Amino acid sequence: MNVNENKISVSEIDASCRVPLLALFGGAALWLVIGLALSIVASLTFHKPDMFANCAWLTYGRVQPAANDLILYGFCIPAALGVMLWIFARLSQIPIVLPLLPIVAANIWHLGVVVGTLVILSGNSTGFLWLEYGRGAFVLLLCAFFLFAISAFATFGARHHRELHVSHWFLIAALLWFPWIYAAANFFLVICPVRGVAQAVIDWWFANNLIFVWLALVGIGAAFYFLPKFAGRPLHNHYLALFAFWTLIIFGTWCGIPQGAPVPAWLPAASTVASALLIIPLIAIAKISVKTVYGANTQCKGGPFCYIKFGTAAFILSSLMLIAQACPHFSRVVGFTWFGPAQTQFQLLGFFAIVILGGFYELMLRVMGCELPYPKFVRVQHWLFIAGLVLLVGSLAVAGIVQGMKLENPKIAFDDVSSATLIAFRFSTTGQLLLLLGSFLFAANIFVMTARWKFGLLKSGWKALNAPLQASEVKS
Amino acid sequence: MNHDLSNSKSQTSTHLTVPIWIIALMLTLIFLGGVYFDHHSGWFDAKVYGPYQSAGQLAAYQPLSGEAAIVAHGKQVYEINCGTCHGPDGMGMPGKAPPLAGSEWVNAKGFHRLVEIPQLGLNGTITVKGQPMNFPTGMAAVGSAMSDADLAAILTYIRASWGNNADAVTADDVKAVRASVGGHHAIDGDVELKTIPE
Repeated sequence: MNVNENKISVSEIDASCRVPLLALFGGAALWLVIGLALSIVASLTFHKPDMFANCAWLTYGRVQPAANDLILYGFCIPAALGVMLWIFARLSQIPIVLPLLPIVAANIWHLGVVVGTLVILSGNSTGFLWLEYGRGAFVLLLCAFFLFAISAFATFGARHHRELHVSHWFLIAALLWFPWIYAAANFFLVICPVRGVAQAVIDWWFANNLIFVWLALVGIGAAFYFLPKFAGRPLHNHYLALFAFWTLIIFGTWCGIPQGAPVPAWLPAASTVASALLIIPLIAIAKISVKTVYGANTQCKGGPFCYIKFGTAAFILSSLMLIAQACPHFSRVVGFTWFGPAQTQFQLLGFFAIVILGGFYELMLRVMGCELPYPKFVRVQHWLFIAGLVLLVGSLAVAGIVQGMKLENPKIAFDDVSSATLIAFRFSTTGQLLLLLGSFLFAANIFVMTARWKFGLLKSGWKALNAPLQASEVKS
Repeated sequence: MNHDLSNSKSQTSTHLTVPIWIIALMLTLIFLGGVYFDHHSGWFDAKVYGPYQSAGQLAAYQPLSGEAAIVAHGKQVYEINCGTCHGPDGMGMPGKAPPLAGSEWVNAKGFHRLVEIPQLGLNGTITVKGQPMNFPTGMAAVGSAMSDADLAAILTYIRASWGNNADAVTADDVKAVRASVGGHHAIDGDVELKTIPE
């Protein structure tokens, strides 16, 4: 196809994303700040257990799931949808088709998050991991996702360039994956609950498919779009990426049933085998990323390139932690310790949030057609996030292993084992504070940007109203 | 940074073949995974939970009741006390002891003689399955020190194993026979054995 034939310019494509992306990112930034603040409230409970004793809304059992869900459903997913939409428009070389749908979808989605969070904080959560929101929010989120997917698929279907980009596979699989797992898990656990052991199995299946598979599809799909752009060279090896894609979704979807789970032995056994096989897509993804980036002349200097490189490395590391957890000997030590939450936080914030934030900083200048209000914040946030993650994930992971080894020793009292993890909590809470600080910088950039843009619109509208009439329009 | 619009395939990704070692590694891992699954999965049995690994292993830990429990106990006691000469398979050993499998003495309707042999011991020639046999050391009174329950379990076990099919012997049965036994010398072969009522 000849580029000159179509009259659509890049800036026109970017401009078509403006309102949907502001709607998706604006809410996401708010939820990230609130989610991280709530997770600090949750961890304060460990330092001073009676701090919120008189306020049921702020007790650990409510705040902890509310914080996690805000980070995942409030920030990660809508922000990822924003990046996804922009990549689709760019790869299709057309403005977004049906641009109203993602705007509506973003608002319904954020409404769903509000409803779900209130459900949890008021003590009405379903009690299922990552599905705490319950029926109302489930319907809202699913509808929002469908509306978004219609626009995304329409943009994809109308693409000028028929051949698929590697990112297309990952992102389209993710668009199909989420409604499937989210609807199936909610149907069998919340709408029409199955009985007994199957409940736990379905919840583990869903949690793994969302936290590992879905985030990997979107995060790696986005990284495979941005990394070659930054490095200024083609993505290393189309076929290896295809291999990574299929092995990731085939092996990844089986993982997640913990060793020692009270379910028939073949479930954890199959999960362990699948987790061990995950090493194959990990090697492939690591090889693709390193070969694409290595030796490129681009300096990253704490910019978006750094974000995506760090995020991809964090994906490999956090997935290795996941594989280690499935290994029978290691899982006997770290089961029921802080190692598991450390892995989840690493996956959510270290890998996914960082990749999506990198994508955001890269695309937002283009979409808004102006510089960021505080360009230095990008670099500061990068270092705040890295320092915060090292403190949060590192201390919890080490604490988990130490805790596990002490739990195996019958001579150490349970109380002593628990109180020995307090020192790790001092580090991890500090890490969470740094992350919160970083998220403020992100929110400041997007809110000031949105405010300026809206003010600009108002100003030009006001100007148009007050402009003297053209002579040709005046009737005599 | 290259942000132009021409996304032709040759520019977005290179087209090299997938390295063969990663495929070989995957196949090796799939094989090892299969071996692991074979050992740990209980083959989709809904009753096998961790840490148990197979239905067979699970069955071995199940407490038994009724005749099955007696037979299982009998097997244990038999293998310690009797198996060294009569063989764990009940086939006997040349020069040591006659076979129990298929033996008309074991499969007899009554159990009096069977209780008395271990209770008193046996010397001389004994005819089993039509073959007269003679063992230089004979059989000591190994059963005389056993409890009624143990001896009953052994007898029940040998009467129900290796193709044998005769009624169980209870501890009360053994007790009754023991009370009626008069002599304290070893039984002298077929000849004396046949004088004892079945």
